[in-house]
Amino acid sequence: MKLAAFVSDYRLSVDSLERLKPEKLGIILVQNGVYHASIKENGSASPLLGYSADYYALQEDLETRGIDASKLDGKVKVINLGDVVDLIFNDYEKTAWL
Amino acid sequence: MGKFTIGCFSSLVGSLNLDFAVKLAGAALDKGHKVDMWVSGNATMLSIKGQRAFKDYSSLEKPLKELMEKGLTITACEACAEARGYNKDNTMEGFKRHSMDWYLASTFDADRVLHIGGE
Repeated sequence: MKLAAFVSDYRLSVDSLERLKPEKLGIILVQNGVYHASIKENGSASPLLGYSADYYALQEDLETRGIDASKLDGKVKVINLGDVVDLIFNDYEKTAWL
Repeated sequence: MGKFTIGCFSSLVGSLNLDFAVKLAGAALDKGHKVDMWVSGNATMLSIKGQRAFKDYSSLEKPLKELMEKGLTITACEACAEARGYNKDNTMEGFKRHSMDWYLASTFDADRVLHIGGE
């Protein structure tokens, strides 16, 4: 299964992710979930970025929170809502909202 | 082009989830997809007509009407709405009301489903 998981909160959703074993995993950071892409705690990136996954962050949610896209973790790709639709239809079969 | 069903549960107007769901529905319609949207629980508040738009506060009635003109089908859980005192008389024109069977049927023939849970 190819799964796109939406993470909308900065509270960690790692427990949920660990129960999911898709053959391909995409993590789409939206709303307050985009903080995972930028904030470091004690010098470390969010544990959420430690999965074997493709990572995306929604541009408008970054901008709303004043997060500079050029300072995101290098594994995170910035996308717009149209890109989200394309990912859902072209790259993944199932979605999950965490 | 495919059919995309979005279910949004338990979010009041003003919530991030509801804003996101409506914007995503718009993006999918712009891409030429057919979009069904279901609101349940507190999200049925979205169906009330005559919501006043304030500056710098989320207001979805106008964008929702524009999306309905573009072909969005949006339905509220009838029982959830009635339980909150939202009845037919104060429902936005074009906003459907059905039992959850409608949502299940929509998800069964959708190409993609996004089920956004409660907050």
